Amino acid sequence: MLVDLSIPSTISIFALLLIPVGIFVYLGLGLVRETLLSAVRMAVQLMLVGLYLKYIFHLNNIWVNLLWVLVMMTAANSSILGKSGLKRRLFFWRSLAGVAISTLVVSGWFILVAIRPDPLYDARYVIPITGMILGNCQRSNVLSLERFFSGIRRNETEFMTYLMLGASLREAVRPYLRDSVKAAVNPSISTMATMGIVSLPGMMTGQILGGAMPVEAIKYQVGIMICIFTSMVIAAIVNILLSLPIAFDEYQRLKTDVFT
Amino acid sequence: MKIELSNVTLNIQQQCLINGATLRIGAGEKVVLRGPSGCGKSSLLKCIIGALPLDSGTIRVDDTELSAETTALIRKSIAFIGQEPVLGADRVRDALLLPFTYKAHRHLQPDEQTVTKYLKTLHLSSDILDKPCARISGGEKQRIAIARALLLDKTIFLTDEITSALDPESKAAVMQELFESDITLLSVSHDSDWIERCSRVITMKDAQLKEETDAG
Repeated sequence: MLVDLSIPSTISIFALLLIPVGIFVYLGLGLVRETLLSAVRMAVQLMLVGLYLKYIFHLNNIWVNLLWVLVMMTAANSSILGKSGLKRRLFFWRSLAGVAISTLVVSGWFILVAIRPDPLYDARYVIPITGMILGNCQRSNVLSLERFFSGIRRNETEFMTYLMLGASLREAVRPYLRDSVKAAVNPSISTMATMGIVSLPGMMTGQILGGAMPVEAIKYQVGIMICIFTSMVIAAIVNILLSLPIAFDEYQRLKTDVFT
Repeated sequence: MKIELSNVTLNIQQQCLINGATLRIGAGEKVVLRGPSGCGKSSLLKCIIGALPLDSGTIRVDDTELSAETTALIRKSIAFIGQEPVLGADRVRDALLLPFTYKAHRHLQPDEQTVTKYLKTLHLSSDILDKPCARISGGEKQRIAIARALLLDKTIFLTDEITSALDPESKAAVMQELFESDITLLSVSHDSDWIERCSRVITMKDAQLKEETDAG
C-alpha cells in the first residue's frame, strides 16, 4: 500500500524549493515570483482536481465524464493558441477540432479496444488517460503551430518561390509542415528511446507506488507512450491542415492578422 | 506575353511605395526599372505576382486581370528571380527538378539531356547537379534559378538584381539567354551593361514611374 504523505511531510517537500529559489536569487534571474506562484497554482489546481475527481469517479456517469474531457480539451486548446502566438478568436474552433480528433481517436482506441474497462466509460480510465494524452498533445501542438507559422513568416520569399514554381498551397507549405512535425515529435522520440534507462516514467512510477505489479505498470506505460506519440503526430498535422483556410488569403499569402 | 499596370497604388506600413502607377509592357519587351534603393521597385515586381495586396488599380497579364481566381494561372507564366534565389532543396539536381514534383508540372519532367542543355547555355557544367546547394556560389545559384525557369518554359521573367553575384563571363551568358529570346523581361538592375541592353528604362522616384526616352 502507498505510504500516505502527512501535511508536515508535504510541507517538507515544498521546502526543497528553497534551493532553486536561493539559486535564482543568487544569480539574479528574477524567476522567484514566477516559480513560487507556479508552485502554489499547481498545488491548488491539483487539490481542486483531486476534489472534482473524487466526485466524478464516484458518479461515474458517461455524460459527466465526456463533459470533463471536453473541459480539459477546451482548456488545452486555449493554452495552445495562447502560447503559439495565434489569435484565439480566429483559430479556436478549428484548433479545438484538431485537438479533439487526435485525442479522442487515440484515447478511444486505447480505452475501448485495448483496455476495455467495465463500464467502457469508467472515469478511472477515461479521465487520466485522456488527460495524459492531451497534456502531451498540448506541448507538441504549441511547438508545431509556432514553428509552422513563424517558418513561413520568416521565409516569405522562399514560400512565394514555391508558389511561383507551380506549387499548390498544400505543396508550398509542405517543407514547413515537415519541419514543424519534426520539431514537435523529436523530443518524444528521444524520450522513448531512453525510457527506463535515463528516466522512469511518471505513470509507471505512480502505478508501482500505488501497489501495482511492475509488469502490469510497464504494459500500461508502453501503451500510453505509443498513444501519446501517435496523437502528437496526428494533432500536429491535423491542426496545421485545419488552420490553412483561415491563415492564408485567396492569393495564398499568409495573413498578417492571424498573429497576436 | 504582355503586362499592364493601371493606376496601381501600394501602401506598406502607412508608406506610399507606388502611387497610381500605369505601365504597359509589350510581349517580348525588355524593360529595366531603376531608382534609389527602398523606393518600391522590388515591391512592384511582387505586386505583379500577387505577393503584395494592391490598395487600388489593376494588373493584367496577357489580358487576364490579376485576381484571386487568376493568380495561379498568372504565376504559371511568370518567373520571379531575386537577388538571393531560393533553390528549395539540398542538392542542385533536386532544386532544378523541384517544380516537377508538383502536381501542376509532374507530366513535364525534363530528361537529363534537356537539363544539361540549359545548364550549358548558362555556362554551368553538368557536374554541378550532384553538388549540395549550400556549396555552390551565389552566381551559380542565380544561374540554376534561371535554368529552372527556362525548363518550366516561363514566358515572363521578373528579375531583381540578378547579375550582382555573376562574373563577367556568366553575366554575358545569362544576358544572352534572356535578351536574345522571346521572353518578356521586367527587371530591376543598376548594372550599366544590363541597362544598355534593355529596350526601355523606367525610373521610379517618389512612388511614381517615369519613362526615360533616351535608352539604348
